[in-house]
Amino acid sequence: MPTVKVNGIEVEVAPGTNMIEAARQAGVDIPHYCYHPHLPVAGNCRMCLVDVEAGGRGPDIACNMQARDGLAIRTDTDNVKRMRRSVMEFLLVNHPLDCPICDQAGECRLQDYYMEHGQHHSRLADEKITRTKRQDIGDLIILDADRCIACSRCVRFSDEVTKTGELRLFNRTDHTEIGVFPGTRLSHHYQGCLADICPVGALTNKDFRFQKRSWYLRAEPSVCDRCATGCNIDVDHDHGEVFRYRPRRNDAVNKSWMCDFGRLSYKRLAAEDRILTARGPEGAEGVDAVLAGLAAAVDAAARDHGDGSVGLVLGTRATNEANWAMLRALRAAVPGARVFLVEGNDPDAFDYTDDLLVHADKNPNTAGVRLIAEADGAVGDAEALRAALADGGLRLLLVLADDVLARLGEVRRPEALAFFGTWANATSEAARWVLPLAAAQEVEGSFTNFQGRVQRLQPAIPAAGDSRPGQVLAAGLARALGEDALPAGAAGVFHDLAANVPAFFGLSLAGLGAEGALVHREPPTEQVAPPDTRPAP
Amino acid sequence: MTQQVPGPEMTTGQKFYVREVLQGLWITLKHTVRNVLNADENFTIIDYPDVKKVMPERYKGAHRLTTRPDGKVKCVACMMCAQICPAKCITIEAGEDPDDPVEKYPVQFQIDMLRCIYCGFCVEACPKDAIRMDTGIYEINGFTRQDLIHDKAYMKDLKAGKKPLAEDWYREHPEDAPPGYDVKAPKLREGY
Repeated sequence: MPTVKVNGIEVEVAPGTNMIEAARQAGVDIPHYCYHPHLPVAGNCRMCLVDVEAGGRGPDIACNMQARDGLAIRTDTDNVKRMRRSVMEFLLVNHPLDCPICDQAGECRLQDYYMEHGQHHSRLADEKITRTKRQDIGDLIILDADRCIACSRCVRFSDEVTKTGELRLFNRTDHTEIGVFPGTRLSHHYQGCLADICPVGALTNKDFRFQKRSWYLRAEPSVCDRCATGCNIDVDHDHGEVFRYRPRRNDAVNKSWMCDFGRLSYKRLAAEDRILTARGPEGAEGVDAVLAGLAAAVDAAARDHGDGSVGLVLGTRATNEANWAMLRALRAAVPGARVFLVEGNDPDAFDYTDDLLVHADKNPNTAGVRLIAEADGAVGDAEALRAALADGGLRLLLVLADDVLARLGEVRRPEALAFFGTWANATSEAARWVLPLAAAQEVEGSFTNFQGRVQRLQPAIPAAGDSRPGQVLAAGLARALGEDALPAGAAGVFHDLAANVPAFFGLSLAGLGAEGALVHREPPTEQVAPPDTRPAP
Repeated sequence: MTQQVPGPEMTTGQKFYVREVLQGLWITLKHTVRNVLNADENFTIIDYPDVKKVMPERYKGAHRLTTRPDGKVKCVACMMCAQICPAKCITIEAGEDPDDPVEKYPVQFQIDMLRCIYCGFCVEACPKDAIRMDTGIYEINGFTRQDLIHDKAYMKDLKAGKKPLAEDWYREHPEDAPPGYDVKAPKLREGY
């Protein structure tokens, strides 16, 4: 492990770390445009120039300087300040004064670094060189070549990450501009990432174009619910309305990227097919009234036809907490209820899969539900459910989140169906009781992605309409069934889950952190105490 | 803690305040006589609302949106005015103009004049000189609350006198007219 010095602060870093990252570990921010932690080093913006005190020759660019023993750099000398100001002046020479109409304003590195390191007056006496503005180069991207500072991040992204190579730098010197080849357009499904990595306003998101100035938005960390990868996202919202998703860095899951399908899925939060109110046999009613009606039906079915006439289908699209709370509620009231897990994709899932991020399984929590089913030990699969429905023994079926009827195809419908879901589908159409389930970005909870990584969800906006988190609906159902002792809060349900499902032993919701935590591959045989996350007295 | 500051020592005669009261009355009387004798010089009487005062050039009146030579508003919906506004009375909805090289324009621009405190920060914050308060209009009034939400169409190149005149209103609503007001032959007004 090489030890380096940044402004006199000694840090020990992993071998191969460059000096921008090493400085970050020492708490020193080195300004940069072209460097990106998940892209190859290009070293063409020159903004990260630093003085080398010992162990090399300087000034040199920090992004291309690997940490080695004895290396000492300084970022606070007059020389470095002068270099930064000169680089800023150089980059801004031909930059248009577009800030009032530029979507990047507020999160623009040129603005930030000008205020920090530039503060110069333009000395340009000649006309600015202008390049083509407002080019429509992709389904999600508008290119403004005039604003480009030729950092080549986007070129490297399309070469190295998506490996499609549509973008290139054309022309030379001041006339350099990025662009696509004539007659072509961006063809990959990660276009939104180009707008994210562009440090200036050259590549902007067409979907977000002129929707909101960035400084009005607040970001809440969450997880994308469109496939089993579970990309970490920031939910940008203002006054209860979500304006965009941005990938949140998690090197173990999605690095800094996310696909366009997930990125645009924020629109589903306010989609017309959202289930916003509870519906019983007599039409729309309050959530509690519908839960009471459903509980009465569960009681009657269990009394008249035995426990086996009541069934529950766990939801691969619902959180760990919703599934566990629902399972516990039903098992507590009707111990012999039959539980099933039907895997597969719903009709509203998008039809695209690749080996970069987009997983073939379009449900965010299949792995978590499998672990819960394993721990329960008596959960049937789709075939078992089909058989149970065919012999007519299953009279009342509770379905959580998934479009089970569409997944099963042609089956004999149960006598009565209850659906706890977020969006209307074939199952909700057929259901006698429909309960509105809050979307993943509106609840506290967790998803387990295909790697077995439990990732935390935090509510960004209030739940739409009457919808409620799954564990709250489950607790309501349990209360209506006469079971009062079950926890209703997400942390409490997760605690209960971690105490009963071996793969989750030792985990706690608050202890998941920003990067999530892996479940136990080989579950421990006895309970592991959860880490104490309370602050020290 | 409050601190007592001793005032000047006063004699018994001074404590009756006779001289001071008379002194004050004398000043009032002096001005009254002078004003009655030279009324035309000392008073500017404006027969408002028949005649209106022309406000100084830098008076902060109703806002207007300035226009470019092609007639479109200069505003590009950058939200600087909405951001700086301490009364949060500006609402802007941005949109894209596909034919205009400026790209961005305000689809709607509203100022709630009931909330506006006339600080003029919006004028100072504007990077495009798109909003000004130089109309000299101080009669910001309306018959409903909705009237007082000035929108883009109203504020676009607003000139003094664009508000409905009282005689227009009285013509349509004679019951509102003051006693003795002749709707058919209203008194001509100056100053517009």
